[in-house]
Amino acid sequence: MQIGFKHLCIMIAIVIALILFSSFLCLIVLPSPKEIIESLRSSEMMFSLKLTLISALISTILVMIVGTPAAYALARFSFPGKKIIMTILDLPIAMPEVVLGLALLLLFGKTPLGTFLKYLGIRVVFTKIGVVVAEFFTALPYAMRTLYSTFETISARYELVARSLGYGAFETFMKITLPMARSGIIAALVIAFARSVGTFGTVLILAGGTYMVTETLPVTLYLNMSYGNLGMAITSGLLLLGVSFITIYMVERLGGRT
Amino acid sequence: MKSILLVKDLHVDLGEFKIEDITFTVDRGDYVCVIGPTGSGKTILIETIAGLYKPKRGSIILDGEDITDLPPEKRNIGIVYQDYALFPHMTVFDNIAFGLKKRISKKSEIIREVKTIAQKLGIEHILHRRPTTLSGGEQQRVALARALVVRPKLLLMDEPFSALDFKTRSRLRKLVRDVVSEYNTTVIHVTHDFEDVWSLANKVMVMYRGRILQYDTVEEVFNRPCSDFVADFIDINVMEGVVTCSNDKTIVRIGDLEIMSKDKVYEGSRVKVFIRPERVLILKYRPDKKFENILEGFVENIENRGSMIYVWARVNNILMKCAFTPNILNIVDFRIGDKVYLCFRSDDVRLFVFS
Repeated sequence: MQIGFKHLCIMIAIVIALILFSSFLCLIVLPSPKEIIESLRSSEMMFSLKLTLISALISTILVMIVGTPAAYALARFSFPGKKIIMTILDLPIAMPEVVLGLALLLLFGKTPLGTFLKYLGIRVVFTKIGVVVAEFFTALPYAMRTLYSTFETISARYELVARSLGYGAFETFMKITLPMARSGIIAALVIAFARSVGTFGTVLILAGGTYMVTETLPVTLYLNMSYGNLGMAITSGLLLLGVSFITIYMVERLGGRT
Repeated sequence: MKSILLVKDLHVDLGEFKIEDITFTVDRGDYVCVIGPTGSGKTILIETIAGLYKPKRGSIILDGEDITDLPPEKRNIGIVYQDYALFPHMTVFDNIAFGLKKRISKKSEIIREVKTIAQKLGIEHILHRRPTTLSGGEQQRVALARALVVRPKLLLMDEPFSALDFKTRSRLRKLVRDVVSEYNTTVIHVTHDFEDVWSLANKVMVMYRGRILQYDTVEEVFNRPCSDFVADFIDINVMEGVVTCSNDKTIVRIGDLEIMSKDKVYEGSRVKVFIRPERVLILKYRPDKKFENILEGFVENIENRGSMIYVWARVNNILMKCAFTPNILNIVDFRIGDKVYLCFRSDDVRLFVFS
């Protein structure tokens, strides 16, 4: 009885993995190599790839700069409203990207904050800055989850010992906590980058998904699918798939090394 | 100034745990062991002294300076934990040198200081290694070296030996005793192990439910516990009686029994009688002399606690326990129901008058 159940579970795992793998294989096998190389060389693809990588890089850096101290605060200190803050920061994970995009569009468009930023000459809505902002808010919760659990596993005792030896709170964070959180931080970095590269709904609503202006790889895939340009769509899909594979590989490698 | 630490009316509230009404002083060079059941607030107390928690009220004065509101890095207090808390991304050398780097800029001086303490603690051969590759005993010596090398005014230790095996523990105890006296460090040491108290401390603090029940010399606490709880916790025989004669020697009547003590107490006083179980000799025959107190009873229970054997004997209506090392069992074999004689000297009987 037990052996039968065990085999059934293993079979379900194998079948579902096979279906998923076949779909990836379709992406690689079905299009002709010539078509892919042509698509890769097109100015639209070059633009999209460049914008995707640069915006993802900037948003990842911002996510880490903001997410690291914020996750540390949530993991280490108790303060009023901590639970609500944690829930709010986690919300985008459960929220559809288009809803997050809409919310951000309204915040940066119609509120005093949007007006103030416009006054400073910073236009978020339907611009490349909007791409970065959209990616930032989409990737932040994922990175923060990783960072939060990393900091939580590091005992506060290490910090107290360092401080008892004469190091201030910030110095202790830099010399003890951060190096000890190294693998978690790298994992968060990789996740933030992957999420930024793959952000679609938020970018589409906040930055507009305009051809050759705010066009990132997922937008390229979407736009070309709607024109019926399958070669371009598949090429952007392949590039995104490549990023995902590298991400998973790096997370697995770094995750094992604590 | 004789006292180095003065804790006054300290209250710390962490929600689930709190400590209240904590007032005590520690003299320079004292070795204080803090004992008490799990959850009694021992660790919160030392972590508050180290600066981890902000007290609700009260003050902590270290070497004449009010450190209550100072951050941990300004206190000059060392701390050693049960799980060592060695920085895993640094070598043993860098761990020990970590605090020195804040105080000394000359590299050669840092190297000299680290090597000196490493030699004293017998860890000079592992300075290049990472903490994760060390044994528990080695890790604890590194943690001790790291804390002591900066010569803190006060060293706090939270169950430093509890994760070590018996042999390593006793070896480390000797090492701690030597190195602490050489560096003339004042120590507060939280422990569950009475052997730490007997072999290291000159003072002992008993805590329970966030309060200090008794704080005195080891001799006083272990011979004259201030309450039934402390008596029970330190595993001492407690009886209640009335003093019937107080001439040269004091005689206490406990039910039908008479026990002689050297403590001077007025006739008619109601007293608690304390006798440490290790001070009671249990024999199968009546000894001829030497003991002022010889009580006849029957063995009711025998418990082997590893390093000590405990025998409970009923004398009339009173249950008394005595403790001895297991090798005695090779000579005398005790069984439940055996008739035995409990023998102890009058100066091992301590009296505590209560109203």
